[in-house]
Formats: sequence, C-alpha cells, structure tokens
Amino acid sequence: MASRKVVRKGVANLLSGRKARRGPRSAAERVSGLLVMLPWVLERKRVKLADMAKQFKLTEAELMADIMMAAMCGVPPYSPDALIDVFVDEDEVVAEVPSVFSRPLQLNTAEVFALVTMGQAAMKLAGADTSGPLATALAKVRPLLPDDSMVVVDIANIKFLPELRQALNPAEQVTITYFAPSTATRTERTITPRAVFEDAGNWYVSADDNLSGERRVFRVDRIEALTRTGVLAPKFGEPDEMDSDGPEWFGDAVQHVTLRVAPRARWVVESYPYVSRVQEADGSSVVQMAVSSEHWLGRLLLRAGSDVQVVEPANFADLSQRTARNVLQRYGK
Amino acid sequence: MNLLALLVQRSQPLTLKQIRQELGNQYSPSDTAARAAFERDKNDLRQMGIPIEMITLGGDAAGEGAYKVDRRKFELSDLRLTESEREALQMAVATIRLGASHGDEALWKLGGERALNTPSTSVNVQLDDSILPALAAGVVEHRTFNFTYKGEKRRVDPYGLLARNGFWYIVGFDHLRGAQRVFRVDRIEGKLEAGDKGSFQRPDGFDLAKAVPTEQEMLAEGDSQSPTAVVLVDKTLASRVRREFGDGSVAKERADGSIEFVIPCANLDAFRLWLFAMVDRAEVLSPPAIRAKVIEWLTQQARGN
Repeated sequence: MASRKVVRKGVANLLSGRKARRGPRSAAERVSGLLVMLPWVLERKRVKLADMAKQFKLTEAELMADIMMAAMCGVPPYSPDALIDVFVDEDEVVAEVPSVFSRPLQLNTAEVFALVTMGQAAMKLAGADTSGPLATALAKVRPLLPDDSMVVVDIANIKFLPELRQALNPAEQVTITYFAPSTATRTERTITPRAVFEDAGNWYVSADDNLSGERRVFRVDRIEALTRTGVLAPKFGEPDEMDSDGPEWFGDAVQHVTLRVAPRARWVVESYPYVSRVQEADGSSVVQMAVSSEHWLGRLLLRAGSDVQVVEPANFADLSQRTARNVLQRYGK
Repeated sequence: MNLLALLVQRSQPLTLKQIRQELGNQYSPSDTAARAAFERDKNDLRQMGIPIEMITLGGDAAGEGAYKVDRRKFELSDLRLTESEREALQMAVATIRLGASHGDEALWKLGGERALNTPSTSVNVQLDDSILPALAAGVVEHRTFNFTYKGEKRRVDPYGLLARNGFWYIVGFDHLRGAQRVFRVDRIEGKLEAGDKGSFQRPDGFDLAKAVPTEQEMLAEGDSQSPTAVVLVDKTLASRVRREFGDGSVAKERADGSIEFVIPCANLDAFRLWLFAMVDRAEVLSPPAIRAKVIEWLTQQARGN
C-alpha cells in the first residue's frame, strides 16, 4: 500500500519562487537563467553578489560560476570587446557595458498570465488603489495577453478586513468580539494584528492576543465587533510565517484521530489540514488529523454521516452516534 | 550562449558550416555529432522563447539551410514601467500567492525584483508549477484541453479559469457531454494536455464569475420537493447566518435573539452539510417533509447506520 506524507494545507508551505533545485543544473537551465540575469544586472550596473544570489535563489557559488560562464561567451574572435562584459569585482557583480544580451527576453504566456492574474487579484483587495501604480502597470502589461477576461480570482472582501489591514502598518491595537464555534463562546479581546491572509476562501488575522498573551490566529469572519483603539503597539520582528491553521485545529489541546473517509466525503480531506493520508484500493482514504475539540470532530462526523468513520482512538468510536442523538433531542426525539 | 550571440550579431544568415567555422571547437569535428549538438542547442533556445529561423539558400548554395535570429522576436519591448509601477507589481506578486515561479520570472524580465520579505497581507491561490503553463496556454491561446476526469477522457474548450474558496476551476465546453461544464483543477487525473492554438472561440457574453455556483446558489440547485425550509437558528449563530444570507432571508426574529430563516434546500446534500455545521444550534421547523428528512438522517446516524 502506498503511503504518502502530505504537506499540511496552508500558506505556510508555499514557496513563492522556484522549487529548490536537486542535483546539478543543466547547461540549458544556466543559459536560460543568464538571459534573465544579464539585462537585470546591466540595468543596475553593480549588485552585491550575495544580494543577487538571494534574489535569483542561487548559491553564491552557483552565481559566480554562471557569471564566469557568461564572461567567457561572446562572438568570434573573442577579443575583450567581443565578450560579454560581466565580471565579479570582489563581492560585487558588475555589468556596465551593454552587450548582445542587454534587453530582457519577452515574457512567455505563463509569465504574463501569472503577472496579470496576480495583479488583477491584488486590485480586488479591500483598500486597493484602483487608479494607482498597480492599475497603470497592469494597463501596460495587459496588452501582452490576447485576451484578459478569462481568469478571475474571487476574493471575498469581508467585514472588518479593511480595518484590520489598516491596523497592520503601523501596528495598532484593536478590540474585538470573537466567536469560537467549537465552544460557542464569545470573548472580548485586544489584539495587535501582525498579518492578514486568505486561505481556502477564509480570511485570517495573525495577531498578538492580550487575552492569552500569545500570538494567535483568528478567522476574520468570526469577529463580530471591532473597534480601533488608536494605541500603537511596538513593532517587532517580521510578519508571521502565515500559518493558516487556526487554533481550532492546532491549538493547545491537540489530539490525533484516524478517520476512514469514503470517496463521497472527499471534501473532508480537501477542506481540512491533515497529518498523513493513505489511499485505499477502494478509493477511500485513511487520514490522520489533529483536532483540539470533541465538539469540532462531532460536527465533522455529523456533516459527513456514514461516509466518515473513526478508526481510532476508541473513545471517539461512537462520537458520531452521540452527536446525532444529541441533535435529535432538539427535535423532541 | 555563443551560438545565440553569434546569430544575433551577424546580419546575414549563417549555414551550419559557417557556424562551426566561427565557433571553432564548440562543435565536434564529426559532421553527425556536430549536427546532433546543433539541433539540441537550437531546441534549447526555442524552449527559452528564442526562435531560430531557417532560410533555404539559392544560387551556388542552393538547397543549403542557413540560420538567423531576429532579436525583435525574442526581446521584450520597453513597457516604460515606472519604478512605482514595478514596485506595485512586486507587491502584487508577493501578496497573491499563486505558488508558481512565473510571477518572479516576469518581474525579473521587467527589471524588477521579487520581494524578499513576507508581506503583511497575502492571498493563497496556489497553482502547481507543472500545470500553470498548460492552463495559461489553454485559456489565453484558446487551446483545447485533453485530460482525465472522474475516470473519463475529456476534451474541453477552456473558456475561463476561476479561483474560488481555495480551489481553481476550469469552465469550458465539454465535448463528451456536449455542454458547458465546470472542472476542479486539483481533481484532474494525470496530465493536462493543451492542443493547438486557436482551436475554439469563447461564446459572446460568457460570464466566468457566474459560471461556478456559489455555496448559496448550490443550496438552491437541486430536485428536492421543497425549494426552501424554515430554519430556527440560536442567538449564538443567528448573526452569522444573517450575514451569510442577508436580511431578506429573515422570516421572524424571536425575543430570545434566535431567528427563523428561509433557506434554500433544493440540493439536499448541500443543505445537510450547511445545517449540520451548526450541530444542535439550528432546527428545521418546516416544511414537514424536510423536517422529517432531517430526523431520518439523525436517526440513522444515531443508530450507527
């Protein structure tokens, strides 16, 4: 049986750039990279080797080797004036003289598509300046696409999102009324937002929480009231690593459960983070999840009906029945 | 790289023989090996978006092929982006996390830089690096897709792509069903292949945002005998349901803060998922058939069936 460790769903596991390379890069990869890097460095004339390596996700040794390769290239008779004039001067990459590769390559379809998609989506964010530099930049890039109305990123701009974004920079304390469905309780809290992010259709705010004294992640749609205090909080550190998995799933009292999920209830696997998943021959999945409340698991089991079974632990084996009996009381049964 | 530099620099097309003479020992003395290496280099350059044109010579060299590269065909024209426009694009790429590297590559080509710090706002609309180019080619260049979905071979004209609630959807004409359909990108089995350019036309008036039903619309799309149900929601959750369905869904506000809502239930599977998310804090009051159905679900589950 094939078993695969699945990366937890969430923003935390996103790398915004190239995948980490494994093994040596091919000559074609290196040339392709140089054709992007040479015009880029020429525009700047001099760039710190370390900064450029970081920008292009290379090691300094890799970048040095690529620059050396480029410096050896040119056209016959390979006299100094016919070579590509790029070199490393101590800790700087220097390219001051225009060469045959001074202009960047055209953007390919995937690159224009990605840029326009991301730009258009950013324009939909609450508080975006719809006539500012992003709008004018998109107006210049968009003509590179033959047709730009074929992709839509549907971003829900929900209540309190603009206020939370405004409270990020400079970091300002806000008081909130927060509803936690796992316990059906409301709490009044003063939080200092550090990052807001959207994942799987839900908006979250990662914030310093005065009530718990910890960095917590709150679902924005569960904030029922919000008041800005005008009190600025000290800025510290970088924004969060964008861990989208709220306290419901990875809170203090985490317990692991193993569930057998039928194909009809695939939404369970697709909607919630899990630790591991094994695909069975009949199409069902055996999934290990972390849950912090019996109520939350009971709710999931009630929604899924007979399509999800608890494999372990034993104390949750009849949770589905118990939850259903509890709800039946409401119907006088 | 030398080959490209040579072809760009020379104003006249060069034959392979001339290229080998100019580039000295870059190519093997063996004609066969040199030809194979040249073809590989040519292919690599094409993959990078650099087209090498071949011209068949006349006169004394009749029939012989000569090669040239027109830099206007691969160099980016100056888009005249200002520094603040580049920064705005950089911020957009950092904020909207498509999860693929193409945005960074685009920024570099435009002379910009990728953001090295995590932005304070981000949106996760992850698309795999391996599928993005084919998806983009399909919708931008009107290439028909071939892929397997729910075990069936599908041929789909992609009219558009939509990201909603953490999933990407292809909306297009499904040749197998002979109708417009919606496909979840993460449920495509195996490889997505994009066919020839310009293989279909998108219908006039096609509205991508409306082509994929929202959660509320899904509740209303089904064949249940009753299109709506009256659901009593406890005070603790009532404000959330009101926000979700709007004031128009409120049938009655009770003194204890609970609210009776009129909720679509034509799609019973979707309705069950929505209703039971509130566990015991919501109750179907009417119509009797839907209330009985809910009791039947609960009874079966309480018995462990």
